[in-house]
Amino acid sequence: MTSLLPSSPVNVVDALRGDRYARPLANTTSASGLRAQLEDGIYHVIGKNNPAAPLIVRASSLRQPVRSTDLSLSATGRIRGVLINQLLRLHCVGISIDHAFEEAVEAWRGEVGENDLLERLEQLDDDERARLATDVTAHAVTLMRAFGPLPKRWTPRSTVRATQRLAAGNVILRDVIDLMMGTNNADAAAVVLLDVTTSPLGEGAERTMRYHALVETLRTSIVPLRSSTFSTATGDLWTVDVDHELLTRSCDEVLAVIEELWKNQ
Amino acid sequence: MTTLLHRRHTSDQLNELIGTAPAELVALTDDHRRSLTARFRAVPNTEHRRLDAWSVERAGQPSSPFRWSPNTARRSIGNASLRRVDLKPEVSLTEAVHLEIDDLLLRAISQYARAGSLAHWLAGLTQPVLGLVSAEAMNWATQLFEAAQGLANPWRVPACDAYYDVATARTTLRGRRDLIVSRDESRIIIRLRAGAPGKSAGPGLRADMTIDALNHVEGVAPSRFIGLWPEAGVVLSVDGTMVDLRAGARDLVRTAVVQRRSRLAVAA
Repeated sequence: MTSLLPSSPVNVVDALRGDRYARPLANTTSASGLRAQLEDGIYHVIGKNNPAAPLIVRASSLRQPVRSTDLSLSATGRIRGVLINQLLRLHCVGISIDHAFEEAVEAWRGEVGENDLLERLEQLDDDERARLATDVTAHAVTLMRAFGPLPKRWTPRSTVRATQRLAAGNVILRDVIDLMMGTNNADAAAVVLLDVTTSPLGEGAERTMRYHALVETLRTSIVPLRSSTFSTATGDLWTVDVDHELLTRSCDEVLAVIEELWKNQ
Repeated sequence: MTTLLHRRHTSDQLNELIGTAPAELVALTDDHRRSLTARFRAVPNTEHRRLDAWSVERAGQPSSPFRWSPNTARRSIGNASLRRVDLKPEVSLTEAVHLEIDDLLLRAISQYARAGSLAHWLAGLTQPVLGLVSAEAMNWATQLFEAAQGLANPWRVPACDAYYDVATARTTLRGRRDLIVSRDESRIIIRLRAGAPGKSAGPGLRADMTIDALNHVEGVAPSRFIGLWPEAGVVLSVDGTMVDLRAGARDLVRTAVVQRRSRLAVAA
């Protein structure tokens, strides 16, 4: 069943939890079929050739069609996205946030030390920095209002990375899930994936939700319960229950990206 | 011939790897220890040498000096948190991570923490960075807990890694281990790894296994040493056979040789 919520619920966690008695049994049989579908599809695209470097597919590869411009991918947009992600991580472990921008920057600096994007942040003049701080604070307010406290027994994990090598390492699927909750050790499907974006939701967000579900299925060999995305720009939450059809569709989308990458090599 | 098994990371596969581990126990004798010492002594060093699986995987190439960060702190805190949950199942993993960090901070405030220690580093952090450390530790502990919960055999989180001082060779070997699984008289070691396994993952596991055997009072090797890469959904394992132990020891000595050569090259 797929449900699309027209407006943000009072509490995102409640929406993600859903009706716990209506959860399907954990599907542990689909992963191998999906892997085979991808392997066959990749062989169809690249044959026996070996690309000079592995073709790398990321969630961002599916987010927007090639050659279109997304303002959220500007340096400032990316910095905003990283900072909101830091705030989400802090919220997950129950840290109260009083000064969103400053605390997010501090956490980010503590995590990466030095990098290009952080350097870019340091180079912003006072006006740009103030504008960014206001922007981040506004997104943070939306985030905190929508998320209630996370249940401790849900074992929330943030920024969960995944890598899947296909076609003998010629294709690599990479993914980072902003928030993951629930366990794979239950009889019923219980894992919920959540992507938090600072952009308004669009068609790309749907593909990303499917991609997260696909990579998670390949990684753990267990189909997650649902995949969701939350926009801090609009407060919208989209959520889909993961089923075989959705995963197959994601395989097709991934193969289309691989074909595009192969052509452009 | 050395062993290296590759499986997908599922509870069933993990249990099968544990269930099919070699039944015959292999032990390193005093002769083996003496022989290893002689080989390390043949590689002179001016300062104390520390070797582990990571240095073997990097083929002795120098890596950046260690510094504490949320990433490097997550394993210590995550494992300790899981040990806490194992002792007190009513405590959630999130609470256990917070309690563990609180304990470390208390140790630093009471001046029981030496400079450079994890507790000392944590005490100098701001609240947001401490939050990030908690988040990383939470991720680590959850991955390990998920793996442990699916095990059919009894398991425990070891209180410390395996260390072995090579007598009169100024060399310390460190073998990392995250879960010890008991099966009859034997033990199977599980090590959690980040990222995806590289080409040298097998030698790394063998090095860890050899150090674990050297650390054992009677030199008994684990029946099997399992490396878990949850991010890649992959499990690799090596068997506790004499051939694998010898290969592990050889790789450690070879790493010491490469390190010495690169130091000499820098000095020249």
